[in-house]
Amino acid sequence: MLLQLRGIYKWVNTGINRTFLLKDINLDIDEGEFVSVMGPSGSGKSTLLNVIGMLDDFDEGTYHFMGEAVQQLKEKQRTALYKQYIGFVFQAYHLIDELTVYENIETPLLYKGIKASERKALVADMLDRFQIVGKKDLFPTQLSGGQQQLVGIARALIGNPKLLLADEPTGNLNSKQGEEIMELFKQLNQEGVTIIQVTHSEKNAEYGSRIIHLLDGHVERKGQ
Amino acid sequence: MIRNYLKIAWRNIRKHALYSTVNIIGLFAGILFFFLIGAYVWSELQVNRTLKNAPHQYILTSEWKDPNMGYDLATLGPLALRLKHDYPNLVKNYYRYDGITAIVSKGEKLLKQNVQMGDSTLLEMYGFKVLHGDPVTALHQPFNVVITRDMALLYFNRTDVVGETLAIRSFKDTVHDFKITAVLDNLQENTVTGLTPTYPSKVFVSVANAGYFGRTDLDTWQNNQIASYIELQNGVKVTDLAGPIRQLLKQNTSAVVQENLRVNPVLLTRYHLHRNNQAVLRTIYTLTLAGLFILLMAVVNFINVSVSSAGTRMREIGVRKVIGGRRRQLIFQFLSESIILVAIATLLAVAAYPVAGGIFEGAVGKSIPPLSSFPLYFIGIPVLFILFIGIASGLYPAFRLSAVNMIHAMKGTLQSVGENRLLRKGLMGFQFAVALLVSAAAFIITQQVAYFFGKNLGYNKAFMVSAQVPRNWSKPGVDRMIAIRDQFAKLPGVAAVSLSYEIPNGNNGGQVPVYKSGADSATALTLQLLSTDEHYLSTYQVPLSAGRFFDGYHRDSGQVVLNKTAATALGYPSAAAAIGKQVRVPGDPTLFTIKGVTDDFHFGAMSGKIPPLLMFHINFNPIYRFLSFKLKPGNVPASLAALQKTWSALIPEASFEYRFMDEDLNILYAKELQLKKAAYMAGVLALVIVLLGIFGMVSLSIQKRVKEIGVRKILGASVAHIIKLFAKEFVAALLLAALVAIPVAYWLMRGWLQNYAYHIRISGGIFVIIVLCIACITFLLVSVQTAKAAMANPVKSLRNE
Repeated sequence: MLLQLRGIYKWVNTGINRTFLLKDINLDIDEGEFVSVMGPSGSGKSTLLNVIGMLDDFDEGTYHFMGEAVQQLKEKQRTALYKQYIGFVFQAYHLIDELTVYENIETPLLYKGIKASERKALVADMLDRFQIVGKKDLFPTQLSGGQQQLVGIARALIGNPKLLLADEPTGNLNSKQGEEIMELFKQLNQEGVTIIQVTHSEKNAEYGSRIIHLLDGHVERKGQ
Repeated sequence: MIRNYLKIAWRNIRKHALYSTVNIIGLFAGILFFFLIGAYVWSELQVNRTLKNAPHQYILTSEWKDPNMGYDLATLGPLALRLKHDYPNLVKNYYRYDGITAIVSKGEKLLKQNVQMGDSTLLEMYGFKVLHGDPVTALHQPFNVVITRDMALLYFNRTDVVGETLAIRSFKDTVHDFKITAVLDNLQENTVTGLTPTYPSKVFVSVANAGYFGRTDLDTWQNNQIASYIELQNGVKVTDLAGPIRQLLKQNTSAVVQENLRVNPVLLTRYHLHRNNQAVLRTIYTLTLAGLFILLMAVVNFINVSVSSAGTRMREIGVRKVIGGRRRQLIFQFLSESIILVAIATLLAVAAYPVAGGIFEGAVGKSIPPLSSFPLYFIGIPVLFILFIGIASGLYPAFRLSAVNMIHAMKGTLQSVGENRLLRKGLMGFQFAVALLVSAAAFIITQQVAYFFGKNLGYNKAFMVSAQVPRNWSKPGVDRMIAIRDQFAKLPGVAAVSLSYEIPNGNNGGQVPVYKSGADSATALTLQLLSTDEHYLSTYQVPLSAGRFFDGYHRDSGQVVLNKTAATALGYPSAAAAIGKQVRVPGDPTLFTIKGVTDDFHFGAMSGKIPPLLMFHINFNPIYRFLSFKLKPGNVPASLAALQKTWSALIPEASFEYRFMDEDLNILYAKELQLKKAAYMAGVLALVIVLLGIFGMVSLSIQKRVKEIGVRKILGASVAHIIKLFAKEFVAALLLAALVAIPVAYWLMRGWLQNYAYHIRISGGIFVIIVLCIACITFLLVSVQTAKAAMANPVKSLRNE
């Protein structure tokens, strides 16, 4: 078991009303799964992903990640935990515009304090694997959307995470680019990376081994 | 990692070139100003510290109960010498001098110099570096002279001039050759050779020349105008001298002197900073405070612009956090950016230092030491400065920005950071307050200075020119000079000429105690003495209150003229009542008749009340220094040329070095003029920094609110509405700042004006004008910046969603 959510609630208070973002979420995800989260706008997909990624708090319930009770961890420990095991991919890529492709991929390693020689080897590997060696000195704005997302994924994988969280990774891409990215995800999954993706597209959701439908903050039904 | 921080920082700086430039310019101005002030303060603190055995070097100053009885920077002639001779285990050495202005010539070169006629101990006692000659014997003999390197180069174009001669003119119209016995290296500023900093001496002769120059012997106790210095033995406290000084005064001086005089030995290193009511120290404090304020403003600007511009960097910050950047690492990144910016600004400031130094010199009235004159370890100062200011100004933005919630940051919807309105307004208000304060001060100082030069001087300074003439202080000497005066008066460009010892520049020759004939001599009042000819009043156009002025032609024997203050002080009910009355000087049987009473005029600076004056005719007090010319309006250069020509014919032994009365007043009010310049500089700097800050903030604000502008325009807002939207915020901050700054400025400037017996009144209008001016400038700047955004087609700004 990689992670387990039990009775997760998250809400915001608007005046006298309480608006629920997540309602009684119960979810188990094993290592090696490829889960797609679907649902209309505002159904809480991204919030759920952020909670799983420990970027966001929840108000009620328990969350165990690799046996650790996340709700009991201090901020610092939680940061350390997600830094070590989780990689993020975003719809808008969120590359740092001031950095080159190479530097974007390298930055997480810098923050981890990895030595220069090792860093160089790891980044070179990653560039090679994604076949973007020739683009390593370009800045994000000089790349196409698909290429940017490749860099984004490379950056998410450089720390060798157990879990990859992708929030509509193909949302800004055309269908061909999107397909390539999904193929890449599939391949990564086969190599052992657990993936949770949020998507609008039925077709992309099919790449996953399991689909979770959200509606107004709660899980509608579970299906294979 | 550090390299990475620096690299990213540099790219960020370049990417946000506009804000970086705004930040750098603001910091540059602040840092440059601060460096200049630092250099000035350092050089002031260095004064006298280079003297040998500086911790034991003292000057004897005099405190006279009646300030008209003597100068505070001089004392009784023999005192220092006797202290050394009678108390050798207290006093190690002494030096005294009588300062004289004499014409020193070599061949064709005739130049007026400040000459110190002093004790032979000078060179050894202070350890001045001697380039050539023997310091021990150099000043023992009469007709020997010691000069500085400057002087040697001036007269000979070389420095090894020992054995050469310079001719020095006495006051009795004789010229004698003086043999050069030593050449000193140029002297660093000190209060031994430069007791009055504006006229440092570079020529030194022995006291043995007193006779030649016709000066009172330094060894008579009646001579109270001798600058005196002593060096204490090790371990002797200055308080140990109190007894010996009292003893010597008791043995040698009259009861009146003992009653009135207190001699204070003051440590030389302290003296420079503390004299004249702590003038230098106060300047140091004022400037340091101004420098710190300006620097603080620049730092505040930096913080303001950094925090506001952070809005555009939110996403980057969020991403960095999500991919594993710890807060500390982000803080480091921001700090490296601010350190780089400060480093650029600091390096520019160092580079601009020599150029800006020239402008700054005018404001402090002193040359700023060149970079090369600082000790080598000063190189560490800019480095520390970069780190300190870089961290100080980067810390707040760094902490603030690294603390943002990353989910919000990622969405780029960060309201909390850039929008910290209260803080930003507070900082903005602080800057406005400083700018207002400094501008108000500059304005009031300007008004007061204009008042100094204005119509209420009591005499007419327009077209007044004066020149010092060579001295021959004897009856024939005066007669000759009067004849020369009359020659000048015949020139067509000249309206009037007067020969006198004084011109109204605050430097008069002496004081005289006077009492009404028939009264007790103990009731004598000390009056300031002027020695003038009969044309003085008409030349300077001072109105006569009652009686007549001098007649000239030796007909003024036993006659004196008073000013109104003196007549009142002596107890006459009116000016007219004083005419024909007789007064006496204690110890002198002569009865002086009051011939006339003049209106009061400002002889000295307006800091003091107009003192009581008494005038003698130069026929009977045969001393003189100046010819004063009242030129006719019209072709002044031609009149001056005519004066020059006539001068060369009539007075070939001296050069015609003239000054307009305005220039004399410039010297008299040098401090105030400096202050005015300094206030202008600070005012301009403060304003520039404020405007830079506004500029930066407005352009960021526009960037953030492009969409809002678009929506507002579609809803029907005019350009003016939109400009108002942006300007409102700043004008509000300005008005708030005005509430604080105006009372503070009023209080400060009223305090400053209290220093002057004659001063302007601060009117509320000044503040209104200044607030309006700054408001207008602010509004203009905001308008210019906003107009473009306000006029853009809203469809464009709304489309790029």
